[in-house]
Amino acid sequence: MSMKQQYGAQKDNYHKQIMIKSTIILVVCILLTLICLVPIYILIVNATHTHTELAENPSQLFFGGALGENMKILTNDIAEDAGKALRRVARQYSSVFNIGRGYLNSLIIAGCTTLLTVFFSALTAYGLVVYDFKLKGPAYTFIIGVMMIPVQVSSAGFVRFMYSLNLINNFIPLIIPAIAAPAVIFFMHSSLKSTFPLSIVEAARIDGCSEFRTFMSVALPLMKPAMAVQAIFAFVQNWNNYYTQNMILKNDKMMTVPIMVSKVLQFDKDVNYGVNYLCIALSIVPIVVVYVALSKFIIAGVALGGVKE
Amino acid sequence: MASAAQSRIKSISYAKYGYMFIAPFFLVYCFFQIWPLIYTFILSFKGNQSNNAAFVGLDNYTTILFGQGMAAGAAATKAEFLQALGNTFILWFGNFVPQILLSLLLAVWFTDAKVKLPGKGFFKVVMYMPNIITAASVAALYVNLFGDSQYYFVNSLLMNAGMANPIHFVTDPVISKGMVMFIQTWLWFGNTMIMLMSGIMGISPSLFEAADIDGANSSQQFFNITLPLLQPIMVYTLVTSMIGGLQMFDLPYLYHNGSNFSRSLETVAVYIYFNFNKGTVEQANYGYAGAASIIIFAITAILGSITFYMNRDKDAIAKKKQRKMAEKQQKARAKQGGGLTI
Amino acid sequence: MSKLKRTLALLATLAVTSTAFVACGDKKEDSNASPAENNNSSVADDANAGDADADADANADADANADADADADADADADAPAAVGGEISLPDTDDVLTIVCWTDTDLNNMFDIYTPVQASEVKYQNCGGNGTEASTQYANYLNSGDDVDLFVAEAGWILNYINDDSMSAPMEQLGISTADYADAYQYTVEIGTDNNGVLKAASWQAAAGGWAYNATLAEQYLGVTSEDDMQKKVSNWDNFKATAEELKTASDGAVTMTVSLGGLWQAFSTAQNAAWVDGTTINTGIASDFVAMAKEYVDGGYIDPSVEQWSTEWENYGKDGKTLGYFFSTWCLGEGAQLDTNCGTEGNWRLIQGPQEYFWGGSWLCVSPNCNTATEAANFIRTFTCNADTMEEYALYSGDFANNKVAMNKIIADGSNSNPSLGGQDQFAVLAGVAEGIKMSDSISKYDQNLKDTLLNTLKDNISEDADTILQKFTDQALADNTDLNA
Repeated sequence: MSMKQQYGAQKDNYHKQIMIKSTIILVVCILLTLICLVPIYILIVNATHTHTELAENPSQLFFGGALGENMKILTNDIAEDAGKALRRVARQYSSVFNIGRGYLNSLIIAGCTTLLTVFFSALTAYGLVVYDFKLKGPAYTFIIGVMMIPVQVSSAGFVRFMYSLNLINNFIPLIIPAIAAPAVIFFMHSSLKSTFPLSIVEAARIDGCSEFRTFMSVALPLMKPAMAVQAIFAFVQNWNNYYTQNMILKNDKMMTVPIMVSKVLQFDKDVNYGVNYLCIALSIVPIVVVYVALSKFIIAGVALGGVKE
Repeated sequence: MASAAQSRIKSISYAKYGYMFIAPFFLVYCFFQIWPLIYTFILSFKGNQSNNAAFVGLDNYTTILFGQGMAAGAAATKAEFLQALGNTFILWFGNFVPQILLSLLLAVWFTDAKVKLPGKGFFKVVMYMPNIITAASVAALYVNLFGDSQYYFVNSLLMNAGMANPIHFVTDPVISKGMVMFIQTWLWFGNTMIMLMSGIMGISPSLFEAADIDGANSSQQFFNITLPLLQPIMVYTLVTSMIGGLQMFDLPYLYHNGSNFSRSLETVAVYIYFNFNKGTVEQANYGYAGAASIIIFAITAILGSITFYMNRDKDAIAKKKQRKMAEKQQKARAKQGGGLTI
Repeated sequence: MSKLKRTLALLATLAVTSTAFVACGDKKEDSNASPAENNNSSVADDANAGDADADADANADADANADADADADADADADAPAAVGGEISLPDTDDVLTIVCWTDTDLNNMFDIYTPVQASEVKYQNCGGNGTEASTQYANYLNSGDDVDLFVAEAGWILNYINDDSMSAPMEQLGISTADYADAYQYTVEIGTDNNGVLKAASWQAAAGGWAYNATLAEQYLGVTSEDDMQKKVSNWDNFKATAEELKTASDGAVTMTVSLGGLWQAFSTAQNAAWVDGTTINTGIASDFVAMAKEYVDGGYIDPSVEQWSTEWENYGKDGKTLGYFFSTWCLGEGAQLDTNCGTEGNWRLIQGPQEYFWGGSWLCVSPNCNTATEAANFIRTFTCNADTMEEYALYSGDFANNKVAMNKIIADGSNSNPSLGGQDQFAVLAGVAEGIKMSDSISKYDQNLKDTLLNTLKDNISEDADTILQKFTDQALADNTDLNA
C-alpha cells in the first residue's frame, strides 16, 4: 500500500515536472511567436492609418480606415484640389514605388533565375554523376571550392565589367549568372548520388535514347523532389537579392521590390508614415501569404538541406 | 580483364557528354564570377579617384591594412577598414551566439518526445517565417518601428509608459548595433533551429532510450549525447554563418535614418560597396574596394577550406564505397559478357 | 495528404516560374532591342555631330549661307516653334524627353506648367530617393544606354558631371549659349560652365535662403513686432546667438532658436565665401569654425542636435511652437513645401534675411551626350531657364525663386506674389537682394556633397566629444573617402 503510494507520488511528481516543463516551453514559444508576428501585425495596422494619425499617435494598435486613402496616395490617384502638399507626397511615392511593376520585375528575375539554376544545376550534377571523364574529380572539387565565395568579393570588378559591356540597366547580369550555382549543384550531386539508379541510364541507352534526351525525359522527372526544394530556395534568394540588383538596375522601369523599398527608405523630405508602412506591407505580405501556403513543404526542405550538409 | 579494358574504352566515348553537360556551368561561372574576381584583383593594384588608371602595386593593401600609403588619409583609411572588420565581427558574433543558443534550446525542446507541446507545427512555421522576408523590407520595417524620436512606434509606446527621452535605436552607435544583432537573430533563428532539429532527429533514438534506462536526466542527455553528436552540424553552422557574416550588407546598409548609411554599422561589405559605388570612376575608390575584396576573399578561402577539410573525410569514405561498388558492378558485368555499353 | 500538398506546392512553383519565364522571353527581346537602338542612336549621334561640324565649316566658307545642306536637324529646327537662337546639333530621333533626376519636387511644378505646351512626352526618370543617392547612381545610369536627354544635378556634386564629356554635352549643341543668360543670376552661369569654359548646365532657380520666424513667439518672448526689428536682432551671428540666449531665458528653455544643425550649417558655410577645397587641400578652417559654433549652440541649449533635418520631429518643432525659426531655402517656401506643411498656414510666420546672406542647394539641368530629343530638350531648358514669362509663371506657381532677374523684378514690382504662410509677405522681395549677392561659383568643388555630409554626420554622431576630436574625426573620414585630397 505504502509502496504503491510512494510509487504513485513519484509518478505524479514526474508528471508534474513534465507539465511544468511543457508549460515553460509553451510560454517561451508563445513569446517567440509574438516577437515574430507582432512587427508584421503592427506593420499592417499602421498601413491602415493616415500620416496625421500616425504622427499624432504612432503607437496604433488597431486597424484604421485609411488603407484606401494611403493606396490612392501611393498610386498618385488623388484629386487635383487635394492640395499641393499631398500631391507632392503622392508624386514622390508613386514615382518610386510602383508595386505592380516591382512584382513583375522581381517575378521575372526570380522566376528566370530559378529555372536556370535548377535546370543547369541538375544538368551539371547529372554530368558529374553519370559520366566518367578525366576532369570529373577536379571539376567537382572546384565546384565545392567556390561554393563559399561571397558575391561581394567580386562585385567591384563585376560592376565595372558589366558597365563596359553596356549591361547596366539590363536583366542579363542578374539572370544568366544563375546558371552557375555551386551550392545547388553540390546539393543535387549528393542527392543524385544517393538516389539515382545508374542502371536506368543504361536501359535508356538500350532503348536508343540520346544522352540529352535521357537526361530530359528519364533523369529530370526522377530529380523533381530535389529540384523542387532547390527551386523554392533559389526563388526566395533571388527575390530577396537587393545587393546585386541595386548595383545593376538604375532605371525606373526595372525596379524590383527590394530596390523600391530601399528607395522609399531614402526619402529625406515629404515622408508620409502611413504610405511608408503601406509600401513595406506590400513588399512583405504577399511573400508571407505564399509562404504560409507552402510552409510545410518549405520547412521540410530546410530540414533536408540540414541533413544533407 | 580484357572486357574491363573494353568497357573502359567504351566509357571514354561517353566522356565528351560529361564535358558537354558541365560546360554551361563553367562557361558562365568563368564569365560572370572568375573574370570579375580577377578584374577586382587587378583593380586592387590600381589607384583611386583621379589616380584610378595608375598601377600602384601593393599600395592599397598597405594602406587599408597598415595605414601606410600614398594618400594623405592612409592612416584614417586603415582605421576605417579595421573598424569595418571589427563591426563585421561584432555584428556576426552578437547575432550568432544568441541565435545558436536559442535555436539549440528550441530544437531540443521540439524533438523531446516527453514534452507535450500543442501546435508544434504552427510554432515552426511562425519561427521560420522571418527568414523568407526580404532583408531590405525588414530593415525598412524596423527603422519605421524603432525610429529615434517619439514619432515612431516603440519610442511612442515607451514614452507613453513614462519614459522621459526617446531611445536612439537607429543612430546610437551601441544600441543600433544591438538592434542589428537582434534583427539578424530574428531573421535566422528559425532556420538554424530547423537545421539543428533535423540533426537531432538523425541521432539514433536507441541512444536516448538507453540513457533513459540508465537514469540520465535530460540535461545529462543533452550534454553527453545530443551535443557531442551535433558537433559536426554545429561547426558547419558556425563556419557558414561566419562566411555569411562577412557578407552582411542589406541590414547594416539600410538600417539608418536619412540619406547616409550609419558609419557605426559599417561592415566590410558596406565598406567595399561604398568605396566603389560613389558615382563616376573619378569619385570612387576602386583600389581600396578591390583590396578589401581580396582580403575578404582570403579570409573566406581560409574559412572555406576548414569546412572543406571537415567534409572531406566523409566524401572520401563515400568515394571509396562508390569505387568498390563500381568495381563490383564491373565484375558482375564482365561475367554477363560485356553486352552492355557502359 | 502530404503528397497532395507537395504536388500543389510544386504546381504553384512551376506555375509561378513558368509565367515568369514567359514574361522573361518578352523582356529579353526588349533588352536586346534597346542596346541596338542605342547603338543606332549613338551612330546617328556621331553622324550628326559630324554633319554639324561639316555644316559649320561650310557656313564659314560660304559666308553664313545657312541653309547649305538640308539635313534632318535643320528640318527639326524649322518645325520647332521655340527653337530660337543657335543651331541644334544633337539628334531628334526619339519622341520621349527623358529627364533623369531623383524624387525632386521642383520638377513636378515644372511639369505642371510644361505639360500643356509640350510637343512630345516628357518622362521623369528617378535615380535615388535623394540627391546624395542620385549622385552615386547617375554615372552608371547615364552611360547604360537607356534613354536620357537631360539630367538634373545639385551644386554639391555637379562638377563631377559637367567636367566629364562622356556624361554631359555642351549646351551649345542644343543651340543655347551664355548669351541667353544675360538676365540670369551670374553665379548660376559660372557654375554651369566647365573647366574649359564651355556652358554645360543651366539652373532654373537662384536658391537664396532666408530665416523664417514665428511672429507670435517673437512678440511673446522677445517683444519684437516688425520684421525690421527682428532682422536687427539677428543681423549677424553674434546677435543671433545673443537673441538665442535671450529667447532661452525668456521661454525658460521651452523654445529653441532654430532646429537642426543642417539649416545652421547651410547658412553658416556659404557665408564663408571660401572654398571647401583649395587645390587638393581641405580647408579645415570652415569645418573648425562650424564645429566650434555647433558645440556652442548645442551646449547653450539653443538647438537640439538629435533632430534629423526634414523629419517629423523637425516639422513639429514649428507646428508646436517649440522653435522660433527655421533656415529655409527658396524651395522650402512654396505652397505644399516645408514652410507650408511644417508651420501651418495660420500666416504668423515671417521671412527675413537672417544673420547672413546665403544660398541653399540649387539644381542645374544638364544635357546628356546621348540626348536624342534635342528640340524638346532645348525647348524645356529655354522655358525654365531663359524665358522670363514662363519663369515668372513658374516662380508664382511654385514659390521657388526663379533664375531670371527680369521675371523676379517684375513679380516684386507688381506685388503679384503673396505668401499666405508668411501672412501675405512676398518672399521674393526678401530674397532678391540675397540672390544678387550669391558668390558661390568660386567656392564650390566636386567634393562638396561628400564633405558636407561627412561633417554633419560626424558632428551628429560625436556631438558630446570636444571640438578637436570632432574635427579630427571629420578630417580623417574626409581623407579616407577622398584619396585625391590632403589636409
